[in-house]
Amino acid sequence: MALITGSNPVASESDRRLAVNRHGETGEPVAKTLGTLTALKDPRQAGPFDGYDPKPYYCELLGTDRQPGKALVAVWQRLQALDVPTLLRRAADAERELFNLGITFTVYSDKDAIDRILPFDVIPRVITAAEWGVVEAGVIQRVRALNMFLWDIYHERHILKDGTVPAALVLDNRNYRPEMIGFDPPHGTYIHINGTDLVRDGKGVFHVLEDNGRSPSGVSYVVENRHMMQRAFPDLMQGLRVRPVSDYGERLLGKLIDVAPAGVAQPSVVLLSPGVYNSAYFEHIFLAREMGVPLVEGRDLVVEHDHVFMRTVAGLAPVDVIYRRINDDFLDPEAFNPDSKLGVAGLMRASKAGHVTLANAVGTGVADDKAVYAYVPRIIEYYLNEKPILPNVETYICGEPEGLAFTLKNVETLVVKPVGESGGYGIVVGPKATRAELDAVRAEITANPANFISQPMVALSVCPTLTPNGVVPRHVDLRPYAVTGKDTWVLPGGLTRVALKEGSIIVNSSQGGGTKDTWVLEDGTIEECGT
Amino acid sequence: MTLLARNAEQLFWQARYIERAASLARIIEIHSSHGRASADDLGWAWLVALYSNERWFAEKYTERTSRNVIQFYVADVDNPASIRFCIKAARENARALRAIIPMDMWTQLNSFHNRLLALGPEDFDVVALARTCGVIKVGCYAQLGVAESTLYRDEGERFFKLGLLIERADQTSRLLDVKFAQLASGRDSGGTIADTTFWALILRSAAAYQAFRRHEPRGADPGKVARFLLANASQPRSFAYCLDNIQTVLEGLRRQYGLRQARGSLELVDTLINGLGTAADDRDLVVRLHDVNDWLQQRLIELTAELSQAFFGLEPKQTEPATPAQTQSQTQTQTQTLS
Repeated sequence: MALITGSNPVASESDRRLAVNRHGETGEPVAKTLGTLTALKDPRQAGPFDGYDPKPYYCELLGTDRQPGKALVAVWQRLQALDVPTLLRRAADAERELFNLGITFTVYSDKDAIDRILPFDVIPRVITAAEWGVVEAGVIQRVRALNMFLWDIYHERHILKDGTVPAALVLDNRNYRPEMIGFDPPHGTYIHINGTDLVRDGKGVFHVLEDNGRSPSGVSYVVENRHMMQRAFPDLMQGLRVRPVSDYGERLLGKLIDVAPAGVAQPSVVLLSPGVYNSAYFEHIFLAREMGVPLVEGRDLVVEHDHVFMRTVAGLAPVDVIYRRINDDFLDPEAFNPDSKLGVAGLMRASKAGHVTLANAVGTGVADDKAVYAYVPRIIEYYLNEKPILPNVETYICGEPEGLAFTLKNVETLVVKPVGESGGYGIVVGPKATRAELDAVRAEITANPANFISQPMVALSVCPTLTPNGVVPRHVDLRPYAVTGKDTWVLPGGLTRVALKEGSIIVNSSQGGGTKDTWVLEDGTIEECGT
Repeated sequence: MTLLARNAEQLFWQARYIERAASLARIIEIHSSHGRASADDLGWAWLVALYSNERWFAEKYTERTSRNVIQFYVADVDNPASIRFCIKAARENARALRAIIPMDMWTQLNSFHNRLLALGPEDFDVVALARTCGVIKVGCYAQLGVAESTLYRDEGERFFKLGLLIERADQTSRLLDVKFAQLASGRDSGGTIADTTFWALILRSAAAYQAFRRHEPRGADPGKVARFLLANASQPRSFAYCLDNIQTVLEGLRRQYGLRQARGSLELVDTLINGLGTAADDRDLVVRLHDVNDWLQQRLIELTAELSQAFFGLEPKQTEPATPAQTQSQTQTQTQTLS
């Protein structure tokens, strides 16, 4: 009997392919010089982009001149080398995997709990190093200004006293929390976790559409989408220097430890969730897991002598920092909604006594309000004496006479938004609304002007998106996540949401939106992979 | 590392539900491959007596036909005694533990659960039943195997193990009561209590047939089988083996993790070990088997109540309801009212 040593002499086709791949010799040919799209593509082969036409919008991959920029050409070529059936097959595999991994949100009906995946589009949205530099600086600037604004309105109120921001807008706002007056959060940070919704106009300029400074969700999909892409499309990413996102949990934990009450040597951090029935429960699991901290519910916590404890198998254990994913209203039945079963009685007392840090702080909702949003460029200049790096979308405040008159006159060309809502609800898109819808919204605005703002239609950028009929342009936005303790760190990229319905500009998952992996390239990416 | 009382409870029940589903699946698999039941007769009626589910069963069905009993114990997802319910409940617990347990444990259980959701009536038909239960059993084994090879050995794992062992001890004791249940429900599978074919079936249902054959090559009698499944220290599904390991785990919690509340549970385990020893030495064990099983099962219920009180944040004076499945929902309600 011969001893079996070495390898099978007849290497299979896949073995050979693996071996070649390891030496980086296969894969698609990469053009050394840039030419037109026609020159870049293999004329013998049909590619998924052959019929793709983003006109008249700005395309995230092809820009305005319908040709990938220098930094993106490698990505375009790789995509072009795949065919639509292959893309669709791999997309179906990826979705099945998301389902079995339980990367799902749960829809509850009377009898059943149905797990759904957030629709995931496999064509990534790619951002160059230069573009990202602007976004990152702009987000940091904005978060800094909003935190300073919050400190001011809960302390001296300079910005209100000198009329830069109307006092009534802030003090009468239902998200302004008088309980927070005079309270000093560690490092002056109110908004620890922030999501800034950005859109790109027809020229490719990023604008801020909305701030989310209460409890922004979605970051788990950023990280899980990346894992999924790495599994389903390793060939697409190979050799490209895409900035990693998997350290979000560690970064977040670091920032939360930054803001622990003074004098606590080894702060105990927990994530407070409303529980398994919350539709974002997967994200709560994800965050607790990635930070390595307990995922608690209100019933696991108790407040004694203004200190917070969790119930463990060994008795009560102290809690110093709470990343809470419960809204202000439900956080503490003693301070806010007395009917809340989700919160913890006494949490506000413990927080105000400085014995526990809540992230985000209570009362940040006034800073991400749609009406206050219009003033953010002025807020930035007021506190930082800098020009805003990321402009707002032009906004008309119906609570002001000029804004109201303009909105009523031009409602058919504007996007009208109620100020209190989130999740894309109540938005009326003028150019796409019926006459009856326009009449109705005019009447609503007239009845309660302060409840509305309006904005011109932004020609949202598009990104190539896979459908059963091939690759087509679909509108996208971008939500970068910033975490702040002593200072701010921004996760490279963020959540790209895509409106999967043709022509739709509403990207919210509750209304037919999906997500994409978002790649921020490092400098020098093209040279790296071109050799 | 901090372990929330709620998470300890969830680990405990996750393991219990998996072990329970595996035991049930194995019993049904073995009895349907060796048994003689048809859909219309009452060949499975004894299962209802075995698990003391007479009341729940009567709420849903009038007759204990095989079809109804199998539907009740395998397919009915809203019946807390069914396999499907157990897997669903195990998954619900695991879902809340996802930040703690290894990803592979969750993924296996979630995929398994999804596969079970896809089963249709044809899979529960007499013809397919053994195969379906075999698949379920292997799915449960896989979950316990992933846990064994990946779950971090801290307090949490000890509670997982406690759940597993208590449920296994309970199931083994119930298995030894099958003959009694069959006689009680008036549907004996045939033969007398001394029938060796019957006892071979019991051994197979405990996955202990091969070990018993090697241990007792000269043949089976009821006393030998009962002693083997109750008192053999090397048989991993024997009552004694489970008790021994429960004791070790509790000692570990007390010594290694300084959880002095384990004392009450340890005392109960001592009582059980003594009682079991006395029973095993009893020459008339077979005659008293039902009473012995009843006593053992009662003490296990007390042990669960003691653990709930000492570790899971349950109020004292909480008495054990009819089934452990109910205990859990009551526990959860109880904890909610505390906050």
